[in-house]
Amino acid sequence: MKVAWVSGNGRSLPCRMSFLTAAVVAVVLSVTGLAARAADSSDLSDETKACLKCHDKPGEVKKLDNGEKLSLHVSTKAFLDSMHNATDCEDCHSDIDGDTHGKKKSAIASKREFSLSMQESCRECHKKNFAKYDDSLHATLVKEGSKDGRKDAPLCSDCHNSHTLHSVKIIVPIAETPCAQCHEDIFKAYSKDVHGIERVAKGKRAPICADCHKSHDVTAASLGDGIKDACFACHKNSVEQHKDWLPNAALHFEAISCPVCHAPDAERRVNLRLFDNVANRQMSEKTGVPQFEKLAKAADEKNVGLDERALWSLLKDFSQEGSQGKTVLRGRLEVRSGVQAHQISEKSKAISDCNICHQKGAAAFQSVSLTIAGPDGRPIRHGVQKDVLNSLLATESVRGFYAIGSTRIKLLDYALLLVFLGALSVPLGHMTIKRLFKGVREKREAELAAVRLEAGNKAESSDRRAGDDTSN
Amino acid sequence: MQKLYINPLPVRIWHWTNALGFVLLIGTGLQIRYLDLFQVLSFKSAVVVHNWIGFVLIANFFVWLGFYLFTDKIKVYHPELSPTKYFRASFKQIQFYGYGIFKGDPNPHHPNAYVKFNPLQSMMYQIVMMLLVPLQFFTGVLLWDVARFSSMVEMFGGVRIVDTVHVLLFIFFSGFIIVHIYLGSLGHTPSAHFKAMWNGYEEVDDPAHSGH
Repeated sequence: MKVAWVSGNGRSLPCRMSFLTAAVVAVVLSVTGLAARAADSSDLSDETKACLKCHDKPGEVKKLDNGEKLSLHVSTKAFLDSMHNATDCEDCHSDIDGDTHGKKKSAIASKREFSLSMQESCRECHKKNFAKYDDSLHATLVKEGSKDGRKDAPLCSDCHNSHTLHSVKIIVPIAETPCAQCHEDIFKAYSKDVHGIERVAKGKRAPICADCHKSHDVTAASLGDGIKDACFACHKNSVEQHKDWLPNAALHFEAISCPVCHAPDAERRVNLRLFDNVANRQMSEKTGVPQFEKLAKAADEKNVGLDERALWSLLKDFSQEGSQGKTVLRGRLEVRSGVQAHQISEKSKAISDCNICHQKGAAAFQSVSLTIAGPDGRPIRHGVQKDVLNSLLATESVRGFYAIGSTRIKLLDYALLLVFLGALSVPLGHMTIKRLFKGVREKREAELAAVRLEAGNKAESSDRRAGDDTSN
Repeated sequence: MQKLYINPLPVRIWHWTNALGFVLLIGTGLQIRYLDLFQVLSFKSAVVVHNWIGFVLIANFFVWLGFYLFTDKIKVYHPELSPTKYFRASFKQIQFYGYGIFKGDPNPHHPNAYVKFNPLQSMMYQIVMMLLVPLQFFTGVLLWDVARFSSMVEMFGGVRIVDTVHVLLFIFFSGFIIVHIYLGSLGHTPSAHFKAMWNGYEEVDDPAHSGH
């Protein structure tokens, strides 16, 4: 039997307080007769009991048209323990005709088709969550038909077994997390990172998939600042704490995703995202109009990555065609894959040495991509030459992204050298010429001295003559 | 030689604080920008020191501004309004530095407490003190906390453009300081102007013996 533990609120109350609270609640509930008790079969309706009479037989399966076997087994015990124990079978399986059920063969194409056909029954009760799901990346992928070789995008029943459903407040072992079925690699990385270890080893309520990515309104992780906001949900004072030691902390938070520093072994890249400056949102491709790929490929004919000129012309094209306003680039430093984003280490191992990023050739700036959000929100990328970050011609294109030292403009380095040498040559040249003219100056000074001397002598002799005249 | 008091104490305090500050700003600025070439300070220490010195110099700028705004010495910054007079005097000064000084000609400019600068200095210091230095401080403050001033940074074209202006001015001031020190050595003795900025008194030729 698997062990489940009931979560607290994430904070440890003082022992005395929790004991008193529990005692008071127990007394009140026992007095009023409202003490919770597990549901038993007497709570089930006669119709449900009738269904379970046949369906609570392990091994009962139905062979589907595609050869798959659909389990028909519903454990009464598991159903009674589930969140749906107050729901009658026919609430969801309303299409079943009691007179013909089990007697007449009904055709089901596949498990997937069956899940799809049952999907709408969830909406009846779970309208809010269903509406969120409808707008989610998962629902978009379902609508697209998961045609690109991915596993089937999840339907309600892929994550929630309607016959054994538990409260989300019950923390189950992480292996039972439904996301792991499709996102295996990411889940493996997560289970070894600081959040996964906290969750598994220490049994704490550390975040699991849905805490950051949400459960029903899942969006592409690279879209906007969604995941960063999720970090802040728990790490509330992180900006303030970073301000204690990190210059320009708020800017770092804007331009860098958290794993860039907190997953120290991850590879990084600069993601230049197309941004509609007028609508103030990240730009996205419209369904059925693959404009980005068309324009990017046209601007990068040799497929070596966009250079500064190609990037500029692409932005101009987008400003005219893509968005109603001016298209700009919003740069962001991020890790290269979802797996690496889930390799968060302990705080003490996070990168805090500025020298790692703020110097020429820093690894983080060796890969650059241009991104637009696809119709489903997931990024569509095109490579950009890394030298763009150091080009004066790209000053306007990548005007919002700048890392001192590492993305400095090369031309300014040459300008500094030139001015420095020029400024040094002024005194050196001037002093040299002055030295060359030394003879001229000395000759002139000698002439002046001679003139002064002569003038002095003249004055002296005239004074003497005047003295002689006076004495005579 | 006659001694003229042309550098009052507040100006001298401002000048030497500014001089030391600018040298340190250039040094830490080079360290911040060229960490790959040399590492005297860590990047973070260089940034912190650079920021602090920047703020000290902004305060110091107001010492200079206050002194000149509230005394009649502001006349030293009054521009020559006659272009003919200005360009003629400038030409004479250029001729002196470019040729006359080599032959031993006397400096055509004769300073006093209210006409301290020669025409070239006058033009240069007006541009430097009223445009370039404030612009450098302004871009420096924007870069000090980009997120806080994000709307202004965006208005000026983004952080890359603000930084480029800051670096261009840094390049200018690096060259300016070298030339400034050299020109400071072209008094009647190599140390005459430095002494004048230290004790306030400039030694000038006695008009009776200047030969003009």
